[in-house]
Amino acid sequence: MTLLRRWSALDAVLALLLLYLVAVPLVLLLVASFKPTGLPLDPGWSLVQYARTYGDPRFYKLAWDTAVFAVGCTLGALCVGGVLAWLVERTDLPFKQAARVMIALPMVLPPFLLAMGWALLASPRNGWLNVLLKDAFGLAKGPLNIYSMGGMVFVETLALVPSVYLILAAAFRNMDPALEEAAMTSGARWPFMLRRIFVPMLSPAIFAAAAYLLIVGFLVFDVPGTLGLPVGIYVVSSRIVYLATDQSGGTSAYGQIAAIGATYLVLLLTLAWAYRRLTAQASRFVTVTGKGFRPRELKLGPLKPLALLLVLVYFVLAVVAPLGMLLWTSLVPYLAPISMEMLPKLGLAQHRALLDNVRLAGAAWTSIWVSALSATVVCTLAMLVAWAVLRGRGGGRSLIDTLSFMPLAIPGTMIGMALVYVYLTISFVPIYGTAWILVIAYVTVYLSFTSRAASASLIQLHPELEEAARTCGATPAYTVRRVVLPLMMSALVGAWVWVVAHVMRELSTALLLQGDDNTTVAVQLWSYWAGGEPNKAAAVGVWLVVAMTLLTVLWQWLSHRRPGTTP
Amino acid sequence: MVDIRDLWLTYPGATQASVQGISLAVEKGEFLTLLGPSGCGKTSTLRSIAGLETPSAGSIAIAAQPVFDAGKRIAVPVHARDIAMVFQSYAIWPHMSVRQNVAFPLDVMKLSREETRQRVDEALDMVGLRDFADRSATRLSGGQQQRVAIARALVRRAAVMLLDEPLSNLDAKLREQMRIELRDLLKRVGMTAVYVTHDQEEALMLSDRIALMNGGRIVEIGTPRGLYLSPSTEFGASFLGAAEVIPVIATRGRVVQTPLGELELEREHQDLASVTIRPESIAVRSVAEALPASPNRRPARVLGVVFSGRQQQLRIELEAGHRLTALVDPHRAYAAGDALQIEFPPARLMPLRKET
Repeated sequence: MTLLRRWSALDAVLALLLLYLVAVPLVLLLVASFKPTGLPLDPGWSLVQYARTYGDPRFYKLAWDTAVFAVGCTLGALCVGGVLAWLVERTDLPFKQAARVMIALPMVLPPFLLAMGWALLASPRNGWLNVLLKDAFGLAKGPLNIYSMGGMVFVETLALVPSVYLILAAAFRNMDPALEEAAMTSGARWPFMLRRIFVPMLSPAIFAAAAYLLIVGFLVFDVPGTLGLPVGIYVVSSRIVYLATDQSGGTSAYGQIAAIGATYLVLLLTLAWAYRRLTAQASRFVTVTGKGFRPRELKLGPLKPLALLLVLVYFVLAVVAPLGMLLWTSLVPYLAPISMEMLPKLGLAQHRALLDNVRLAGAAWTSIWVSALSATVVCTLAMLVAWAVLRGRGGGRSLIDTLSFMPLAIPGTMIGMALVYVYLTISFVPIYGTAWILVIAYVTVYLSFTSRAASASLIQLHPELEEAARTCGATPAYTVRRVVLPLMMSALVGAWVWVVAHVMRELSTALLLQGDDNTTVAVQLWSYWAGGEPNKAAAVGVWLVVAMTLLTVLWQWLSHRRPGTTP
Repeated sequence: MVDIRDLWLTYPGATQASVQGISLAVEKGEFLTLLGPSGCGKTSTLRSIAGLETPSAGSIAIAAQPVFDAGKRIAVPVHARDIAMVFQSYAIWPHMSVRQNVAFPLDVMKLSREETRQRVDEALDMVGLRDFADRSATRLSGGQQQRVAIARALVRRAAVMLLDEPLSNLDAKLREQMRIELRDLLKRVGMTAVYVTHDQEEALMLSDRIALMNGGRIVEIGTPRGLYLSPSTEFGASFLGAAEVIPVIATRGRVVQTPLGELELEREHQDLASVTIRPESIAVRSVAEALPASPNRRPARVLGVVFSGRQQQLRIELEAGHRLTALVDPHRAYAAGDALQIEFPPARLMPLRKET
C-alpha cells in the first residue's frame, strides 16, 4: 500500500509540473486571445482580437501561404526521401554505406544555415548560381530567386529529406521478404505485388511520416524566417516572430498573436492526435519478425549510374553547395560570388575576429550552459515521465502521457510567445528576458522527444528485471539506482546530447524570448545575417556546423551502444 | 511456511476477479506446484505472495508473519518479505557479471565483503557455475542464465522460494534435465518452494503436492500420484493427462449404465456423473484371443494409427459408433480397418461424482 501511494505522489508531482510547463502557457495564450488588450490579466472579455484577425484579408493570405508551404515541403520530402530510402534499402545500389551517410548527413546542418547557404547561392541580385547563369547565357538578370515560396519549399524539402529517409528506410528494412515471396509464389507479378502487398503494408509508415512532416512544415521558422521574412512572404511561425519583434506594433500585436496562435494550435493538436493514432496503429502491422533476413533487392541494371547520380545530386544540393558557399563567404572579406579573382583575397580574418568578439563569447557561453542545463532537466523529467507512464499504476498516467507528447505539436515560437504571457503575468518570478526563461522553454519544447526516447529504452527493459531486484529485498529507490538507471543510461545520455545539439541551433524561441543578456549563438548569428554582416554570420555558422557534427557523431555512437555490453 | 486465506484479486479495470477465494497452506520444506491453464490465476496468486500484486481481499502469511491482510490493512512491501523469486525470463541483469548478479541480495543486506564472497561461491557451486563467476551475465546460454537466477534466489536463504514458470523458456531436452536438477537442489537445501507451471508433466515430476487451478479457484489439491490416478473432477482427469470420459446414465450396484452399454466398476459408488479412463489403461486384444467373458469388453475396429516411437496411438471405433483413443505397445503393428476387442479393466475406470 505504501508503494502504491508513493507512485501516486510521483504521478501528482509530475502531472502538476507538466501542467505548469505545457498547459499553463497555452491556457494563458488562449485567455489572452479573448482579452480586448491582448494581455491575459487585463479586465474584460471580447472577441475583438478574433474579429480583427479574421476580418483581415491578410490572415487568409497567411493561412494559404502556410498551407502551401507545409504541404509543398511534405510532398517534396516524401517523394525524394521515399525514392532515396527505396534505392538504398531495396535495390542493389552500389556504395550503400556511403549513400546512407550522404543522405543522413544534412541533419547536422541547422536549417537556417542551409537557408543562408542557399540565399548566398541563389539570391536574385548576386547569388553565385545566378551570376554563373547570367554570364553563361548572357541574361539581363539572374533566373533563380530563392526569396520566394518556391525557394522556401525547395530548401525546406532538402532539410526534411533525412527525417523521411530515416522513417521509411527503417520500414523498408524491417519488412520480412517472406511476405513478398508469399505473394510471388501465389502467382503475383512485380507490379501486382507492389500494389497489393508492398504499398498497403507500408502505408502506416508513410502516413505517420506524412503527419510528422506536416507538423514540422507547419511549425518551422528557420527557412521561412530566412527566406520569406525579408520579402514579406509569411507563414504563421515567421508572422508571429515578425509581430512580436517588430517594435512599431507595440503591445497591441500581442492580441493578434494570441488569436492567430489559438487558431493554429487547434490545427496542430489535431495533426498531432492523428500522428499518434497512426503510429499506434503502425505497431499492429507486425513487420518485424525478429528473424534474421536480408530484404529482396531489385536489380537496377543499366539504371545504376542514374540512381547513384540521384543520391549524389541530393548530397550536393543539401550539403556541399550551401556549406561550401558558407565556407567561401566566411573566408572572403566582403560578400562576393566564388571566382578566381577573389582567390588572393581569401583569408581567416573573419574567423580570427571571432576570437576577440566579446559579444559572441558571451553568446557561446549562454548557449553552452543553457543547452547543458535544459538537457539535464528535460532528460531527468523524461525518465520520470517514462517511469510513471510505463511502470506506474496511478490514475495520472494518461494525463502525463498526453501532456508530455503535446509539445511535439507546439511550435517553438508559440511556446516562446506563451512564456512571454506567463512571465509578464507572474512578474514576481523575475526571469523574463533572462536565460532562465530559455531553459524553461527548451525543457518544454524537447520534452516530447526525450520522453519518447526514454520510454523506448524503458519499454525494452523487461519488468521482471525490476521485480527480481525487489524480490531480492531491494527498495524501489535502490532498484532504480542499481538496475533501472544503469540500463537506461546510454539512452538517456544519447537523448541528452541530442537536446544539447538542438538547443545550440534553435532560433525561433530564442529570438522571441530575446532579452538583454540571454543572446545565444544562433540569435547572434541571425542578427549578424539580418544586420547585413553575412561574412561574420558565415564564419560563426561554419563553427556551429563543426560543433553540430561532433555532437551528432557522439550521439550516434552513444545511441548505438547496446546496454550491457560493458562488463 | 506460507499460509493463504480466502485470497481475492481483481485487476483494475477487469470485470472478473483473477483469483477467487484461494486458501492454501504450504508446509516447511514442501514443493508445492500451482498448475493450471493460462489465465487460471496461478501466476496472480504467486505474485500476490511476492507482493508484486496487491490482492483485493484475504490474507497471506509467510513464516507465520502476516505480510498481507486486507481486513487489518497490512501490506508489507515486496522488499521486506522473506522470499526469493525466480522468473520466467530469468531476469538476469545484463549490466552485471554473474557474481554481481548473485551478490545483489547480499548487497541489499549489507553483508561484509568476505561473507558475501563466501555465500556467492557457495551458491554458484550448488548450481555448478563457479567457473563462470566473472563472466558477463549476457554471455551465458539460457540454461546457465536460469542457473544464475536460481543461485541468486538461493543466496538469500529466504523462507520460501517462488518460481514462475522458470523452465518454460528452455528447449525440451534441457528442460527435462533442469527439472530433476532443480528438484534435487531444492530438496538438498530443504527449501520451501511454490512453483507455477502450465505443464502437467513438469508438475507431476517436481511436486510434493499439486494445487490444480481453473477459473481463479483451486479445483483439486493432492499428491501427483493421487491426482493422476484418482482425480475427483472431470477437469482434473483431463488436465493431468488424456482421459476418455464416459457419461453415466444410471447406477445399479457396481454396474453403471453408459452410452457404451453396461460397465462394471471395482466398487459400488453413489451419484456418479461419469467414469473416465486413461488411454494407456484401455486393454487392446486381437479378435483371435479367446478370453473369459467380461461385461467390460467390446468389439472394435481401428480407424487410424499414429506411431510416435515411445508409444503408438490408436483411433478406435466401437460397434455402436463411439470413438476412443488408446495407447498401445509400439512393437505390435496395426492398420486401419483391423478388427479388435477392447476392454475397460474395472480397476482402471475412474469414477467421478456429480459436482455439487
